[in-house]
Amino acid sequence: MTPAALRTAGRTAARLGRAAAVLLLVTVAALSLPHLMPGSPALAALGPTATPEQVAAYEAKLGLDENVLAATWRWLGDALHGDLGHSLSTGVSVTTELADRVPVTLELFVAAQVVALGLALPVALWSAWRPGGAVDRIATAGAFVWLAVPGFVLGLLLIWFTAVQLRILPATGWTPFTEDPLENLRHLVLPALTLGLTEAAVFTRTLRGQLLDTLDQTYVAAARSRGMGTVRLLLRRTLRPSSLPLVTLIGIGIGTSLGGSVLVETLFAVPGVGTWVSGAINGRDFPVVQGVVVVSAVAVVAATFAVDLLYRTIDPRIADERR
Amino acid sequence: MSAAETVPTPTAPTAAVPRKKAARRRPSTGVLAAGTWLAVVALAALLLPLLPGFDPLHGDFANPAAAPGPGHWLGTDAAGRDVLQRTVAGARASFTVAGLTIAVGLLGGGALGVAAGWFRGPVDKVIGFATDLLMSVPTLILVMIAVSLRGPSLSLIGALIGLFTVPHFTRVVRAVVLSLSERGFVQAARMIGTPPLRILRREVVPHVAPAALTFAFTATTVAIVAEGSLSFLGFGLRPPEPSWGGIIAEGRTTLGSAPWISLAPATVLCLTVLALNYLGEQLRSKGGRG
Repeated sequence: MTPAALRTAGRTAARLGRAAAVLLLVTVAALSLPHLMPGSPALAALGPTATPEQVAAYEAKLGLDENVLAATWRWLGDALHGDLGHSLSTGVSVTTELADRVPVTLELFVAAQVVALGLALPVALWSAWRPGGAVDRIATAGAFVWLAVPGFVLGLLLIWFTAVQLRILPATGWTPFTEDPLENLRHLVLPALTLGLTEAAVFTRTLRGQLLDTLDQTYVAAARSRGMGTVRLLLRRTLRPSSLPLVTLIGIGIGTSLGGSVLVETLFAVPGVGTWVSGAINGRDFPVVQGVVVVSAVAVVAATFAVDLLYRTIDPRIADERR
Repeated sequence: MSAAETVPTPTAPTAAVPRKKAARRRPSTGVLAAGTWLAVVALAALLLPLLPGFDPLHGDFANPAAAPGPGHWLGTDAAGRDVLQRTVAGARASFTVAGLTIAVGLLGGGALGVAAGWFRGPVDKVIGFATDLLMSVPTLILVMIAVSLRGPSLSLIGALIGLFTVPHFTRVVRAVVLSLSERGFVQAARMIGTPPLRILRREVVPHVAPAALTFAFTATTVAIVAEGSLSFLGFGLRPPEPSWGGIIAEGRTTLGSAPWISLAPATVLCLTVLALNYLGEQLRSKGGRG
């Protein structure tokens, strides 16, 4: 291997080790959650009439009978075999239920990205094409105002408008895609709009700024002096190097969507990971909460990693840079 | 570090130089409007509860879900409680949480950021690891868990949201400190043998403060929205204690017949966030180009 390749490999290994350490600590923290509860979780769940045997069985199930590190070790061993424990309230395997719910959350995420990019790409390109023009000024001011509307307010407004006033879309509920694709889409529209419209404002601002920065670069000026028009310049020379922050936003978004979709999913009663974990927190269903927290952290770390690799593909100049 | 470093949340103006002349110029209409709105909300939250007859929990059962009009300027909710009074009382909850968030974020992130940028090397690595750790956990879920285990209290919610803003404050401050330590006046101070703590106090902190305070505006909006989201999900103050998210959530069921119950506090929340964003943005553009 060349020294440069060795250096890259070394850096990658160091970052992998760091990621593993982060995940290990998140697991320890997740498994110590029952310990943070004041009083006895077992008595709180089973009631004051519980026999000592029942209490012991319950504590064994949660790993409360051993110390946190031993519990983490056992939990990680099981997790590597695909076993994340069983829900205390339904007895269903956490892994099975996750496999059912992650696709729902991801479908919602993808639909939201389609909405966000569908809006942000043309608007940002137009704004960068004619900076200071009417479209740019309206879009910039609009995105700024839009950013002040939190997701739950936007969702509520959408429900009020489309479901209560116009009665064209169902406000809540879900139909799986495999059952009825059309009904699935109808249920998808409002939650996807809620997530996507909020993101569109962020995307537009980010991409517009980056496009304008890239247009200032000397190689763009060189292409311009050779007679390349602004439209071609934007699409051919500027968009790709300007898309890095957007890629980061979307990539990190995939990671955080597992834990971050609680609000929208609850508001629209979408049976994804978010509604599940929200119910599990209310019901003190520790195995479910622990499973979701760890899996969500894994997703965030993996997404960060993937974005980094993608960076080098999109902009080869980055691979040569040393920190 | 990693790609996460390019997440465009806190773009720190690199070493903002305080400008004396700009401060004397008249503030623009937008700044005045934003400042006035925030002052009105804050004063209302502080002073209105002192008035006799202010009781956001009192239900006027003769007038449930009454439309806005004289007597009840923003109408009443399903239990006949005055929406304006509840919104004002809700502002207290939001501002309490926001205040705590900023205190925790500024102090924690400020200290960590200065340490990371000043000492670099291993200290920077350890702090970077800690921020990675905090940023990899699902924030909202963790606060929900804490509230469910320890019971809802504004101090717990504020402290936790503050804890999760620490990594962002740290990054903003670290970036400024890193760029500062290359600057001539800091190196000169070092060269003439000024004790490090004195350099930090006299040269570094005054330059870090504008960036950190600018980011504090963002953190305030994050706290207000997070508190609203938590209450909306039922993990905030227990009803009937008023908070913006809580009132908005209560109005959900009557959205068709009495939309003002949700829309009035929602409008106040959005305008407050907008005003804070605007002031933060103005500060940022001033500092960045200073």
